[in-house]
Amino acid sequence: MIWTKTHKNLRVVAALAGLGALALAGCTSSAASDQASGAKAKVPLVVYSAQGYDKAMVAAFTKATGIPVKLDDNSTGPLLTQIEASKNNPNWGLLWVDGSTAFAGLDQQGLLVKGYEPSVSFNSLGAKNIPPDKSYVPTGVTLAGAMVYDRTKVTAPPTSWAQITGSQWKGAIGTNDPTQSGPTYPFIAGMMNYLGGVSAGEKFFTRLKANGLVINPTNGPTLQALTTGQIKLAFVQSSAGVGAALGDKKLVVKYLDPVTMLPSCIGIDAKAPAAEQAEAKKFAAFVLSAQGQKVMQSGDPTGDSLYYPVVDGIAPLPALPPLTGVQVQFIDPYKWGSQEAALNTWFVSNVIH
Amino acid sequence: MTDQTDFAVRAPASPGRGQRRLAWPATAGSRLASARLGKTVFWLLLSFFILAPCASFLALAVAPRLFSQGAQWFTLSYLRQTFTGVTALAITNSLWVSCAAAAFGLAVGFPVAWLAARTSLPGRRLVAGGMWLVLLLPSWLPALGWQRLVQPDGVLYRIGLSSPFITHLIMGPFGVVLLLGLRSVPFTFLAVTAGLAGLGQEFEDAARVHGAGRLAALRLIMPILAPAIWSALAINFAESVSDFGVAATLAYSSNFPLGTYQLYAAINNFPPSFPAAAAMGWLLVAAVALPLALQARALRGRSFEVLSGRSRQVVRRQLTRPGTVVAVAGVGLFYLCALGVPGFGAVSGSLLGDLGGSFSLTLANYRAVFHEGGQFGPLARSLGYGTITATITVIGGFVAARFLAQRKTKATRLLDFMLLAAVALPSVVFGAGYIFAYNLPIMSTLGINLYQTVLLLVIAYVAASLPTNARVLVGAVSQLQPSLKDAARAHGAGELAAWARGVLPAVSRPIVMAWLLTFCGTFLELPLSQLLYAPNDPPASVSINDNLSTYHFGVGMAQSVLAVGIALAAVAVVLGGYRLLAPEGWRRIGGTVRG
Repeated sequence: MIWTKTHKNLRVVAALAGLGALALAGCTSSAASDQASGAKAKVPLVVYSAQGYDKAMVAAFTKATGIPVKLDDNSTGPLLTQIEASKNNPNWGLLWVDGSTAFAGLDQQGLLVKGYEPSVSFNSLGAKNIPPDKSYVPTGVTLAGAMVYDRTKVTAPPTSWAQITGSQWKGAIGTNDPTQSGPTYPFIAGMMNYLGGVSAGEKFFTRLKANGLVINPTNGPTLQALTTGQIKLAFVQSSAGVGAALGDKKLVVKYLDPVTMLPSCIGIDAKAPAAEQAEAKKFAAFVLSAQGQKVMQSGDPTGDSLYYPVVDGIAPLPALPPLTGVQVQFIDPYKWGSQEAALNTWFVSNVIH
Repeated sequence: MTDQTDFAVRAPASPGRGQRRLAWPATAGSRLASARLGKTVFWLLLSFFILAPCASFLALAVAPRLFSQGAQWFTLSYLRQTFTGVTALAITNSLWVSCAAAAFGLAVGFPVAWLAARTSLPGRRLVAGGMWLVLLLPSWLPALGWQRLVQPDGVLYRIGLSSPFITHLIMGPFGVVLLLGLRSVPFTFLAVTAGLAGLGQEFEDAARVHGAGRLAALRLIMPILAPAIWSALAINFAESVSDFGVAATLAYSSNFPLGTYQLYAAINNFPPSFPAAAAMGWLLVAAVALPLALQARALRGRSFEVLSGRSRQVVRRQLTRPGTVVAVAGVGLFYLCALGVPGFGAVSGSLLGDLGGSFSLTLANYRAVFHEGGQFGPLARSLGYGTITATITVIGGFVAARFLAQRKTKATRLLDFMLLAAVALPSVVFGAGYIFAYNLPIMSTLGINLYQTVLLLVIAYVAASLPTNARVLVGAVSQLQPSLKDAARAHGAGELAAWARGVLPAVSRPIVMAWLLTFCGTFLELPLSQLLYAPNDPPASVSINDNLSTYHFGVGMAQSVLAVGIALAAVAVVLGGYRLLAPEGWRRIGGTVRG
C-alpha cells in the first residue's frame, strides 16, 4: 500500500491537528488557572472542603482579602483519604467538612494546628463544639439522624427511638452506610451514646437489621428510596431532609429525642507553611463573620445552607424546624472518634451484610 | 533479543529481500540499538507510572510502616484478614461473578460482532455506535436504571407489572452478573471485530472450497480468532473484577458484597486502613493469574499472523428472512438491556424534580445545570483530559501490544501479567498508590511536586487505561505480518514512513477504536479523579458525584445525561472524522463487500 497523493497526507495531518486543537481547548482552563496561581505573590491557600457553599465562600474570601485559594471540593471520604495518604508530605492548608469525630482523629495524630479560636461570640451550639485544645473551629450545626417521612403515607410517625424497632416499621426504615456517608457515623455513635454504650447500641442496630433496615450509600439515594416508596422513614442528615422537603411538600422532617449534633468544622494543617496557616485562620474568621455567614446561608439554599448557626446574632433559615423542645445531644468526638473505624467495620459486617 | 530473532527469521522470507540484504550491515546495527533504546524507555515508563504506584500501594499490605500507615515493618496479619469474614465472602463473590460475566460478555459479544461485521444485518452500522454508548455509560448508571425499574415500588410496580420474582432475580447475584456481563460485551465486540477485520475471506473460501459446511468453516476460523477471544475473556474478567460502579450500587443494595466495594470501604473508613485495602488488592491481582494461565495455555506456541498484503476483502453473508428476524431481535434485546433500561433510569431521574416521588415531569434539574455557575467547566475539562489521555494511551498501548504479540519471552510474559494485573486493580488503588509514590517528602525536596496537578492526573489516567488499551489492540496487532512493513521498506521508505504506509493503514481502525475506548473510559472516570484532581479544576465525574451523593440527585442525573450526550457527540465527531479524512484504502481493510 503506497501513497502517492499529497492531499491524503494532508488529511491525516489535518486530523491530527484537529485532535491536538481539541486537546488544547480542553486544557485551556487548567493551564490558565495554573498560570494565574503561579503569578500571584501570596501563598495559595489549599482548601479541602465537602461543603455545598464552599465555591461561593472561596470566591467571597478571595474578593475580600485578595488571598488566592485552591479548592479541592470533594466528598468527605476522599478528602480524608487524601489527607491520610499524604500525611508524610501534606498538600492541604485547611479542611472544612461535617463531623467533629474526624477532626478529633486528625488532632490525635497531631495533624491539626492547636490553640486557635476566631474572635467571635459563639452561641450555645457553637460553644459546646469547641474542643478543649482548640484544634478545630465549629462553623455550623446540622443534626445527625433526622427523621424524614411522607405525610400522605405515614400518618402516625414514631415518637421515640424505641418505637422504630416495632413490627409496624418492618422493612420500612432506611439510613446510610457510614463508610460512604460522612454524617452517618455520628448518628450511629449518637445512638450508642444515648443508649448507654457500644454494646447497647449494637443490640439496637441488630434489632433494626432484624426489622429489615434498608441501607443506601448516602443521603441522596436514601431520600430517593423514601420518595419512591421503598421505605417509609429515612434517617439522614437534617440539611438533606429539610432540603428534600423544600422540593417535595409532602415530606416532613422531625427530630426524635435525642438528636445528635453534627457540627461542620474547620481544621488547619499543622505541617502547612506559617504563611498558609495564617491565611487559613483568616479564612476561618471570615466564615464566621456576618459576611461569611451570609454566604453560607445563600451558597447552597436547598442543601448545606440549611444549618443552625453557631455564632450569636445569626438566625437559621426559615425552612429549618425550630430546636425548641428538642433534646439535642453532644457526643464527645475524642471518645467516639477513636472508635470510628472499629464501629464502622462492625456496622458493615453485622448490619449491612 | 526478541527483535533480533524475529528479524533474522522473518526478514529473509519477506518480499524484496534482495534489496534489504544489501542494506543490512549498515542499518541493522542502528535498528537494533534504537529498538533496545525504545524498549528500555518503554519499560522505564511502565516502571515509573504503573509498577511504582501499584507496588507502593501493595507493599503496604506487608509493610505498613513504609508509608507511616502502621507500626510494623513486616506483617502478614492484613493478608490473613482477607481470608476471613465478609472480606473473604466478597472476594469469592467477585471471582465467580467475574468468571460468569466474562463468559456472558463473550457469549453475547461474539455473535453481535460477527453479525455486524460479516452479515447483512439491518442497521449494522448502528451496532458499533451503540457499543460506544454502552462503553460511555459509567457502570453505576445502568445499575441505577435497572434498580429503578425493578425495585419494590419501582417503575414496573407502578405500571402494574410488579413481579417479586424479577425483583429478586435482578436484585441479586444474577443481576450483578447480567450487568457486569452487559458491560463486558463491548470489550468482546471490540476485540473480536478487530480480529475479524484482519481475517480475510480466503480462509472461509478455502474451507468451503474443500467442502466444509458453515459449522466446519467456523471451526476453522475460531482458532484463528483465538488471540482476540482470549484477549476478550481476559479483559472481561479483569474489568469485572475491578468494577466499582455495580459493586457500589446494585450489588450493594442487593446485599451481595464484592471485593472492590470492601476495598473501597477499607479506604473510605476513618481512619482509612490502607494496609487492609492493599491486602485485598493482592488477592485481586492474584485472581488475574486465572485468565492469564488459561490464555497462555490456549495460545502457547502458535502464530496468528494472518493479515498480509494479500488479505482479501470479506464477502458479507446474506441472512435469510427468519435469520434476519432472530438476529435483529437478539441485537435489539441486548441494546434494550444495556442502553434502554439505564437510559430510561437516567433520563427519568433527571426529569423528576422530587427525587422520583411522582411521575410529574419537569426540566427544573436541567435549568439548574444551565443556571448554576461552573457546571460546564468540568465537562469541557474532562473532554480535554479524555482527548489527551486517549492519544497518549493509544501510542503506548500499541507499543505494548506489539511486545505482547511477539514471541513469548520472560519479558513479554512479565509485561502480559503486569498489564492484566493492572486492569484488575481498582482505580482507587492506583489513586492511593500515586499519592504514596509521588508525594514522598523526597520528591518535594527534589522540587518535584506532582501531587494534585493536572500532569499527574493525566499520567494516572494513561497508566490506568493503557493495560486495557493494549489488550484490545493485541488481537489486531498479533495478526500483522512483518511483510507489511518490509514491503514498504523494500520500496525505499524509511523506518517511520514504512510503518505509516505499511502498518498504520492495516491497524488504523483498531487504533481509532482503542482511542475511543480510552476516551470513553476517561471522560467519566471517578476514583482516580477524586483522589488526584488538581484543586480548582474538578473533572466532570467529581462534579456529578458531588450532586448525586448529596441533595441534588436530579441535578446530578441531568448532568450525567448531558455528559453522556457530549461524550457521544465527541465519539460521533471522531468516527465521522475517520470516515471523512482517512484514505479510502485504510477504511477498506476489515471492510466487506456484498455477497
